[in-house]
Amino acid sequence: MLTVLLVDDDPEFSEVACTIIEFLGHEVLTACNLAEAREWLTKETFDHVLLDFMLPDGSGAHLFDELNKLPKQPRITLITGHPSVKGIIKGLCGPNIDYLVKPIQREDIEAVLSGKKQPKSSQAPKIKKHFGHLIGESACMQELYKLIERVSRTSANVMLLGESGAGKEVVAAAIHAASQSTGAYIATNCGAFSKELIGSELFGHEKGAFTGAVGKKEGVFEQAEGGTLFLDEITEMPIDMQPNLLRVLENKVVIRVGGTKTIPVNCRVVSATNRKMEEIAESKVLREDIYFRLAVFPITIPPLRERREDIALLATHFIDEFNRDNQTQFKWEESQLDTLTAYDWPGNVRELRHFVHRAGIMSDPERSEIELPKTIESPFAKKQSTTPALAAGRTIEDVEKELIYATLEKVNGNKTLAAEMLGISTKTLYNRLHAYGDLSKDDA
Amino acid sequence: MNDDELATIAKWVHDARKPLNRISMQAELVKMALNGEIPVEKATVALDKIIHSTKDCSHTLAQMMASLGANSAE
Repeated sequence: MLTVLLVDDDPEFSEVACTIIEFLGHEVLTACNLAEAREWLTKETFDHVLLDFMLPDGSGAHLFDELNKLPKQPRITLITGHPSVKGIIKGLCGPNIDYLVKPIQREDIEAVLSGKKQPKSSQAPKIKKHFGHLIGESACMQELYKLIERVSRTSANVMLLGESGAGKEVVAAAIHAASQSTGAYIATNCGAFSKELIGSELFGHEKGAFTGAVGKKEGVFEQAEGGTLFLDEITEMPIDMQPNLLRVLENKVVIRVGGTKTIPVNCRVVSATNRKMEEIAESKVLREDIYFRLAVFPITIPPLRERREDIALLATHFIDEFNRDNQTQFKWEESQLDTLTAYDWPGNVRELRHFVHRAGIMSDPERSEIELPKTIESPFAKKQSTTPALAAGRTIEDVEKELIYATLEKVNGNKTLAAEMLGISTKTLYNRLHAYGDLSKDDA
Repeated sequence: MNDDELATIAKWVHDARKPLNRISMQAELVKMALNGEIPVEKATVALDKIIHSTKDCSHTLAQMMASLGANSAE
């Protein structure tokens, strides 16, 4: 934590800058002119002084000599509205001085206080985010964009099919963004709630509807009024709750748990599952009537291995994101991007993202080279090559269970890490373990 | 353009940059509120201040144009 003195004559700027500096974990005191700043310097010791160049009682440069004579010299950052000032006084001041040119952004403040230069990534060519969310220029992604654009003009319910980690929630958010609806985007995971709680989550409840219902609550259908409701892992919804959902989809009204009043609802429902269409039909995890209500417009999201040309783009985007968050300047080498492109990524974009972040953490923050592990390990890849898991006649549930336990074993029982490696949410992992009878309610 | 005119324009630019700096910082607050880093109510206040600053900036630019127009008429 640093102690910072902010000297600026604009109270509105000072107030916001203080909020940001305090949020960054530092202590900050303010002065609105040179006289006040001098007074603070006699009372307190500062690690950093942010100094406006033009102050009512003189130039911030007048304070340089006094600051240099202090027993503990603070770092100085001169705030100026004129980029030319930087050049003029550069020769007069020591290396202890940084510059911020107005208008200032949060990352500028973050960079000067951390003593690191701004990441160069901001100058790199910008990667296009389609509909503000999706990255990829491959032919199958172009096809996906076309589908999103078409369905967004209608109010049709969409079902997203795709492997775990392929980006179903991101596509749902893209559909919402493309539809330019006025309501909110609300996401919920149907696999994350017990049979008792899912009714309340979806349809809301009235006060006193059940033990613990201390107040009334709006369900997600009401919250997404005029917008988009994303129901993730729809096939994990308890089968006996599905008639209630069907009623809402057909009649466009909800009745809160414990209530009697019908409340009209109007939102697009985007549902998602990582099961294949044939599997949904065969395993009877979803009622047929619900399927046809939800999958008016089914969209299959391609796995990452089927759009390899997007891997370099995504890896670059993720490392830029890491650089921005950590004030580092990592950059991929061509050969590294080739290695990433050659890999199958069974956990899809989510696995790639976590891998890039792990590589960023493992690398030296003072250098731009990224240290890539020699092999890219994945529990998915391992299981794919294990013969018993793929033997004909085994159920999907059995294979899934084996995979979950093998992953847990690999990470010494760390459920958060296991969920990350499996490409599922921690809640889903807990639910599965609960279903296997391997977890008490207290653990969950 | 002579030195006096340049100094006048520099002053106007300085005055116009002040609300722009406020807008930039208030926008950072909105981003923080959207990220859940500060209470969402602060975003509403910040957005009001952004609107106010855009008016300030517009006013400064209008004054600059009026002043430049008056000078060239002389």
